[in-house]
Amino acid sequence: MQNSTKRLNRVMLIDDNEVDLKINAKVLSISNLFEHIIYFKSGESGLTYLKKHIHHPEELPDLILLDIQMPDMNGFEFLDYYKRLPKPFIDNCTVTILSSTLDFGDIKKAEANTYVAKMFMKPLNPKELRDFLHLL
Amino acid sequence: MNTTTVRVLYIDDEENNLHAFKASFRRQYEIYTAISAAEGLKILENVPVNVIIADQKMPGMTGVEFFKSIINTYPDPIRILLTGYTDIEALADAINHGDIYRYITKPWNDLELHNSIKNAYDAYKAKIDLRNKIAELEKTNDELNRFIYSISHELRAPLVSVLGIVNLVKMEDLYDSSGEYWSLIETCSNKLDYYIQKTLQYYKNNKTASDLSSINFKKLITELIELYTYTDKSTNFILNIEQNEEFIGDAFRIEVILGNLISNAIKYQNVNEENKRVSVNISVTSYGADISINDNGVGILNEHLEKIFTQFFKGKNQHGSGLGLFIVKEALTKIHGKIEVSSNVIDGTTFKITIPNAKFDKETK
Repeated sequence: MQNSTKRLNRVMLIDDNEVDLKINAKVLSISNLFEHIIYFKSGESGLTYLKKHIHHPEELPDLILLDIQMPDMNGFEFLDYYKRLPKPFIDNCTVTILSSTLDFGDIKKAEANTYVAKMFMKPLNPKELRDFLHLL
Repeated sequence: MNTTTVRVLYIDDEENNLHAFKASFRRQYEIYTAISAAEGLKILENVPVNVIIADQKMPGMTGVEFFKSIINTYPDPIRILLTGYTDIEALADAINHGDIYRYITKPWNDLELHNSIKNAYDAYKAKIDLRNKIAELEKTNDELNRFIYSISHELRAPLVSVLGIVNLVKMEDLYDSSGEYWSLIETCSNKLDYYIQKTLQYYKNNKTASDLSSINFKKLITELIELYTYTDKSTNFILNIEQNEEFIGDAFRIEVILGNLISNAIKYQNVNEENKRVSVNISVTSYGADISINDNGVGILNEHLEKIFTQFFKGKNQHGSGLGLFIVKEALTKIHGKIEVSSNVIDGTTFKITIPNAKFDKETK
């Protein structure tokens, strides 16, 4: 596909909405930006995966696309746990938000969070994602 | 007073006064009397009293001291102080610390006292009414907030999923596979999304209090242009922005105003025009910002110029929501700005806006 962008190893999608999970996984697979796409229906299951593979860097994501509004553990709560993970992993991983929210408070909170590198609005625009990855 | 019962508590250490008071007013009010502050407190604990009258000079606890002692426990009843002599200190204390409504000298005049009780009760009612209204408003506001939140998420999320599917269809080259059905789905979904976004914008404009901050117009305009030309870069922008003064204003509303105008200027371009052009001129002084946005697009009919700022007004053959310019106008009103519009074949369409610089307001105050 595009030679200009080097393919990253692994992307992690976290979203409670199964339809969106399916759509975005498909968009990512067609965009061909990653070797592997892993997706989780909740923040908890995403965290469990990260903790389980924390000593196997090849299994860990280079990019996380995180939804904000989710039951039980929302995106911000996920980030609270995420930041306590080992530093070597955090330093190599980029967290972005992928949400449809128009809520002013949520948007501002996401922008203010030091662990959030970018806020993508649904529907995920593959070109916007590619442009962003170029800058990394 | 008609049918409402007004409950009056009268505290005085002289039994004669209590009797006289009761005799004079028992037909108009429900009277409770107490011979001491302690007894008065006992009544307050058991009866929801509206008006309290207390004598100043009582053994043990003075009237003012009594009022002070109940200021947190019984803040609602309206207080009237009764005193036989003019004691300036007690008076000052009563006004400053006892939350006293009236000060009446002894011996009282029946009519004067009657009027005072009546007025005190009105004040009591107004106080309670206001509190109920506020509680009601807070509840409505809460509900509205939750409603808006659910619009911004619950209602929009599935719509955005639909748009995501349309994107996928495009990526997989299936967009033209079923005639124009996919493009129709996309158009309808975009329209619905636009309505949701504008509705939220309108609501926020109405509700949000003005939040002042420093505004860099060049940065703001550049960002807005980038946002609205993301999918279609065919329009050429000419910027002429002069800002040598700091501008303090309501960033949210100014963004709404300029965003709507810029997106309109892009949206209503002539499809066949080869040099699609929008010029933005801004000059900022310490008094305000003068902004003009000019485009060579389809233009606005003369007879429509008056109506474009009204809610749900749409030009014929235009696919707008009838909300954009209405919101612009509403937002401008909130920040005391002005807008003018002109449109003709030679000069194109020009929106001229003036927004006062809040920095100037602050300095002159």
